[in-house]
Amino acid sequence: MNLKKNRASTAGAVWKALPFVLAFGMIAPAALPALSQEQHAPAARHRRRRAELKPTPAVESGQKTFSANCAFCHGEDATGGRGPDLVRSPLVSHDKAGDQIGPVIRNGRPSKGMPPLHLSDAQIKDIAEFLHYRQAESLASASVPSDYALKWMLTGNAAAGKEFFNGVGKCKDCHSPTGDLAHVATKYSPLELESQMLYPRREDRRTVTVTLPSGETLKGPLDHLDEFTVALHDSAGWYRSFQLDQVKVSVDDPLVAHRQLLDTLTQADVHNLFAYMETLK
Amino acid sequence: MRMMITHLRGASLGLGSGLLLNRLAGYSAVMACCLLLAAAALPAQGLTDQALLDPPTTTWPTYNGDYSGRRYSTLDQIDSSNVHSLSLAWLFATGTQAIKSTPLEVNGILYFTVPDNVWAIDARTGREIWHYYRQSEGDHIGNRGVAMWHDRLYFTTPDAQLVCLNAKDGKAMWIVKLADAGLKYFATMSPLVVHDHVIVGVSGDVTDIPGFLDSIDPMTGKLQWRWWVEPLAGEKGSDTWPNVEAMRHGGGMTWITGTYDPELNLLYWGTGNPNPVLVGSAREGANLYTCSIVALNPDTGKMAWYYQASPHDVHDWDAVETPVLFDGEFNGKPMHLLGQAARNSFFFLLDRTNGKHLLTAPFIDQTWSSSYDADGHPIPKPHVAPSPDGALVEPATGGGTNWMAPSYDPQTGLFYVTATRTFSIYYLTARGKAEGWGGRDRGLWEDTSTRAIDYKTGKIAWTHELGRGGSSAGNLSTAGHLLFTADNAGNLLALDPATGKTLWHVNAGGRMENSPMTFMLDGRQYVVVAAQDRLMAFALPEQASASGMQSAER
Repeated sequence: MNLKKNRASTAGAVWKALPFVLAFGMIAPAALPALSQEQHAPAARHRRRRAELKPTPAVESGQKTFSANCAFCHGEDATGGRGPDLVRSPLVSHDKAGDQIGPVIRNGRPSKGMPPLHLSDAQIKDIAEFLHYRQAESLASASVPSDYALKWMLTGNAAAGKEFFNGVGKCKDCHSPTGDLAHVATKYSPLELESQMLYPRREDRRTVTVTLPSGETLKGPLDHLDEFTVALHDSAGWYRSFQLDQVKVSVDDPLVAHRQLLDTLTQADVHNLFAYMETLK
Repeated sequence: MRMMITHLRGASLGLGSGLLLNRLAGYSAVMACCLLLAAAALPAQGLTDQALLDPPTTTWPTYNGDYSGRRYSTLDQIDSSNVHSLSLAWLFATGTQAIKSTPLEVNGILYFTVPDNVWAIDARTGREIWHYYRQSEGDHIGNRGVAMWHDRLYFTTPDAQLVCLNAKDGKAMWIVKLADAGLKYFATMSPLVVHDHVIVGVSGDVTDIPGFLDSIDPMTGKLQWRWWVEPLAGEKGSDTWPNVEAMRHGGGMTWITGTYDPELNLLYWGTGNPNPVLVGSAREGANLYTCSIVALNPDTGKMAWYYQASPHDVHDWDAVETPVLFDGEFNGKPMHLLGQAARNSFFFLLDRTNGKHLLTAPFIDQTWSSSYDADGHPIPKPHVAPSPDGALVEPATGGGTNWMAPSYDPQTGLFYVTATRTFSIYYLTARGKAEGWGGRDRGLWEDTSTRAIDYKTGKIAWTHELGRGGSSAGNLSTAGHLLFTADNAGNLLALDPATGKTLWHVNAGGRMENSPMTFMLDGRQYVVVAAQDRLMAFALPEQASASGMQSAER
């Protein structure tokens, strides 16, 4: 992923203004704030997936320079220490390519104990890249990354999970570790495996049996059910719908057991069962 | 950082309070006469101060229809005996994202919004009068509607500005900045006009920014006062934060329209979740005044009392849901009450004169608390806080309910809420200092129901299942013994408010994401709802409604 594309997708409108700001900045720096305010980019979508974020070479370079020159006061991750938290800094939020961060680095803030730092323009620009990357990471923190590490999740006892599976959990009534669950841990990421284990949320496996006034019975996958209407695909493949008050309806939902389990599971049950599922490689 | 501007109220706005108590207590015949007079006086001036205080029962001049937040209309032309013949009067499609706003109706004109857009349409025909559009950056998640004062409208924007429009032609009169959109503040709420104050709140919790509520001069757009959700260092409540840094970045947005009691001259407002979200360790303490209901003086912004629905929230369970004002008996005594069905799945009943807690009860299944403290705060069970290995909790971050409007029906004494049963697994993913969100939940399964809460006991009088998935459909109760809402299959519903039984339905072709409203025009009662981007008005067939209820009941 190239730098500009990456940024446009992670921090929204601010980044969309960047090429313009850079292009004009060399000619007329004074015009920058007005220009950037007039950018009318589409709505920024803030709740980005963290997994989309990848540090660019400039970010990595900026991080090294930051670590050597700034981290002593502002922390390795820029969340502050003796000096302020720069991830929360309005100045960093409003900075474009170092236009506001640069003067602070060059001049320091003597009244607050920050000395001037003699860094090159390129180094300052990369530090700005790093700080913006840290803000983008923060903005993306409202979702669990899809590659969330197994080590964080694997706190349960697999043997206890197996016992639950075969015992009070009644999982074995529908599932088998050598049948439908064989190698299940290789089919899903740890995060997805835990969700699927608790509730296979993207699947609707309901089937319905509809008995007509004539006594005729239709059975098939459920297409629609509300308090007025039921619809299914019959054995011939036709869509059929009926008013609920004119037929008898019986819905079979194999996921009922999962919903009932959700009511009773303890946190330990969840983590033990997950540890057991992870052994099914 | 804190700003407090003393404001002088206009001399012309002195108000008699006897009428106001009457309004909250119930509408008498005498009141009806007064209201007719007020309605007759409207056209010359737009929406007057007096009309806001005593809204004619035939109009819908504020987000909740009136200051009480009950979303109960005294109109009864459409009633439980004739609702079966309700039919479409007109339809207006915006061609945009879903409509989440509640339209206002004043002098035969409806005003409603989606982000960046305001429409004025003819309430009789659904035809456009004008359309205002202003492109903006920022979160476009939704907009709840405009506020009106005299001939002006007030509209909040995704880039956290307040726009004042001329209600006659939709032209902007002024635009003021509420907050810095560069810090990820945005605005969605429908402002509330109280006297000559436009009360406006803000949104945004992806960065650690403090919440506030502003009072803006309706003429000039100048700030009258600002109430910060977090106290200042050393102030009362500041000891509920570990340090000033955490407190200044503590969140608590004010993103749902509050309510107002003219008799007590108190504004009631809910506040949102603390920041960083889900991470309790970053902010040990109760984190006042986040996740709270606060009572403020609308003239000064000074807080009279608070009640915190979720002390030290770690599940994103805002307490912004409408603080509904109604009067009624509690433990055999007539009381001025405030009820809130909060996002944490509990119903809270307070004495609104002083904030004293009266009752707490869950309105939907939940797994996070099974006991209360002395002030009725639910006490979290062990191991329900988000954790690196995930904590299974009901409800999800979206909560047992959310922004969709509840309703209180004085005829049944029941409080109606769209309630979600929703399981989620909460992961704490922040390592090191958390910024913004410290993790997130992953939703597993949910379904929704309309629930009728008996405010006196907290018991559920009835439950009407709305189907699988979440819902954003609000509620409206009417004197015609009807409760309007929608199910998850796209059906608009009229329920019997006493039993929850369905009396009428129609497939609207999309889910309702706003809250229904009603008004009376030319002797005909309309119920207006939105399904996705379509605003629809329903009424009785014209010949049936033309001569009133008699013909409908023939």
